[in-house]
Amino acid sequence: MASCITAADGEHRNRSGTSLADIQVDLNLYGTLAAFAGGKYIAQKKVSLHEGAVIRDLMDLLAIPYDQKSYLFINAVLCDVPGLLASLGEPLRDGDRVGIFSLQHMWPYQYRDGIRMSESLTEALRKHGAIHNTY
Amino acid sequence: MAKQILRINMSKLEATYEPVPEKWARWGGRGLTSAIVCDEVDPACHPLGPNNKVVIAPGWVSGSPAAPSSGRTSFGGKSPLTGGIKEANSGGLSSQKIAKLGLAAIIIEGMPKDGKWYSVFVNKDGVKFEDAGALAGKGMYEVDTLMWKKYPNKPAVIGIGPVGEMKLSNAGISVNDPENEPGRYAGRGGLGAVLGVRGVKVMVIDDTGGPGVDVANKDLFTEGRKKLTDAIQAHALTKKDGGLWTFGTNVLMNIINEAGGLPTRGFSAGQFEGAAKISGETVAENIEKRGGVGTKHHACHPGCIMQCSSIYTHEDGTAFVSSIEYETSWSLGANCGIDDIEYIAQATRECNDIGLDTIEAGNAIAIAMEGGYLKYGDKAGALKTFDEIRKGTPMGRIFGQGTEATAKAFGVYRIPTVKGQSMPAYEPRAIKGIGVTYATTPMGADHTSGYTIAPEIAGVGGKVDPLTDTDKTGLSLTFQAATAFIDSTGYCLFIAFPILDIPEGWDGMAKTVAGVTGQDVTGEKVIDIGKEILKKERLFNEAAGFTKEDDRLPEFMREELLPPHNVKWTLPDEELDKVYAWVHAG
Repeated sequence: MASCITAADGEHRNRSGTSLADIQVDLNLYGTLAAFAGGKYIAQKKVSLHEGAVIRDLMDLLAIPYDQKSYLFINAVLCDVPGLLASLGEPLRDGDRVGIFSLQHMWPYQYRDGIRMSESLTEALRKHGAIHNTY
Repeated sequence: MAKQILRINMSKLEATYEPVPEKWARWGGRGLTSAIVCDEVDPACHPLGPNNKVVIAPGWVSGSPAAPSSGRTSFGGKSPLTGGIKEANSGGLSSQKIAKLGLAAIIIEGMPKDGKWYSVFVNKDGVKFEDAGALAGKGMYEVDTLMWKKYPNKPAVIGIGPVGEMKLSNAGISVNDPENEPGRYAGRGGLGAVLGVRGVKVMVIDDTGGPGVDVANKDLFTEGRKKLTDAIQAHALTKKDGGLWTFGTNVLMNIINEAGGLPTRGFSAGQFEGAAKISGETVAENIEKRGGVGTKHHACHPGCIMQCSSIYTHEDGTAFVSSIEYETSWSLGANCGIDDIEYIAQATRECNDIGLDTIEAGNAIAIAMEGGYLKYGDKAGALKTFDEIRKGTPMGRIFGQGTEATAKAFGVYRIPTVKGQSMPAYEPRAIKGIGVTYATTPMGADHTSGYTIAPEIAGVGGKVDPLTDTDKTGLSLTFQAATAFIDSTGYCLFIAFPILDIPEGWDGMAKTVAGVTGQDVTGEKVIDIGKEILKKERLFNEAAGFTKEDDRLPEFMREELLPPHNVKWTLPDEELDKVYAWVHAG
């Protein structure tokens, strides 16, 4: 059964000291990243974050090093790929499903040609050019 | 020693050795099986009649010293499932052993007049035919065991289970692996039925004392082998501790599910709530936890350095099945609404034993669920279908005919097939590029017909910007041509990932082919050579009666929205028709 991680008390308060409305996302970590949420190769958790949180906040909360993520999805939209950091600023909303994969995961192109990608990733890929998967 | 063609006539129970004719001399693997089928099989013949043949060919480099991951055997013929040309290839022991006997190909033709089952033993001294009546009805686990007891040199065992004996259209051809398990299959397209028609229950290939494989230019071969090996060992997907090494092909389950492209409950949704439970990650966790003989890294043929296969275990650590591939876990699992990996292991074992292609088998069961014969998620009911098939009951024979036949039996309209062959584990409405390949490949809906790596990553196999260039039809043709070439080498198709990403690997692959064969093969010629193969296959299909109307995805995919993306298949038919327009363009 999915467990719940909540940001430490006090992190989510505005200037007046009142608590901001939390949001909750369904987080799925795969491969070696699962260890950051108590799993072996799969961890499925509900994570509470502050309103307005972005992917960077989620990864920071679980102390996931940015350079260890590969593919990242929000609600079935591809937002990041190995070798890029295009998703850190992606906003999260209550009820979002987030999937983050380790560098062991590879997704051959013929199986993803034509899938839905975020605008940020599309732009990042356009700017970056060739990426080689020999890290 | 020059390679030979071994022609086995099952009508006369005779074998002859022929020099390789000039017209076939440059081909290996798929290129050779398709060339022979095009030259010797009437496209209009009935696939189960006397005029079809089974052609078996190792790839160009199979059996050569230490070419990495080069144990694929191509099987060709006219498919009873699609009615078109078929090449299905398999790992296992057969490719290297056939090659080391000095054989470019084995052609099996005719059918026994006495209607008996035969075993065909091939070694350096020739071919021996024996009555195999005692093996009739037996599954491949027992057949493999019996053959290794009878023949002590650990030969390759190629055979058919009861499904092939019944000549059903979803019969695969089994090849044993180094542990003598029957989990390696030339599964797709029903070639097991074509072998069954020939009266061949089992072929045993013993290469002891064979002449081996000549290498025309050893320096060139050695240089290429080193470059290719280095590329495989450097790439994130294929290296030790990489994706395939750690999670096998089932590394894709969670990825495709997160992307919303995992066909679920008969292609009615793109995400399955139980995907994680049947993924490569779960398989890896269980193998580690259970210990015993389980392993996450298993070579399906000698010399494989990628080792994407695994040995899955029971809870007590004893062997259960090898191997639970992504497409298998999807087909028997998510596609049927089943999230139990132990059921999937058992169902995989059933398929391996009785001789079914797992993709087609799972799709047929899902169709029966769609038609109301079973409920989605009904594991016990699904397992019972394998008993029905094994026993040859009328219901079992319907399932054994594959997805389209099952759909007709149950009055189902939502049939995920192209050219009679069911789709694998990638929803074309969500992953649009692969839909073009499903629709247009001569093989019927197939995930292995269009391999390459991301054009934005590669820059080796043709520079394309997928973000601005929406010409997915041109891209698909390039994918299909590169795949036809690799299927001819004997290398596992998974070398595509490193060689298309690492220029030295691409160069190395071409050099090994040039080194072994002495032919002028370079990286620049790969796509053109692949297109030559595709053209032969395409023309065979046209002569068999295929038209552009056969290059279409099923109607329901144009009609129904696929959640969670809520998309339909929208590519115009005219775009699909462009993929092979070049065949008649002069």
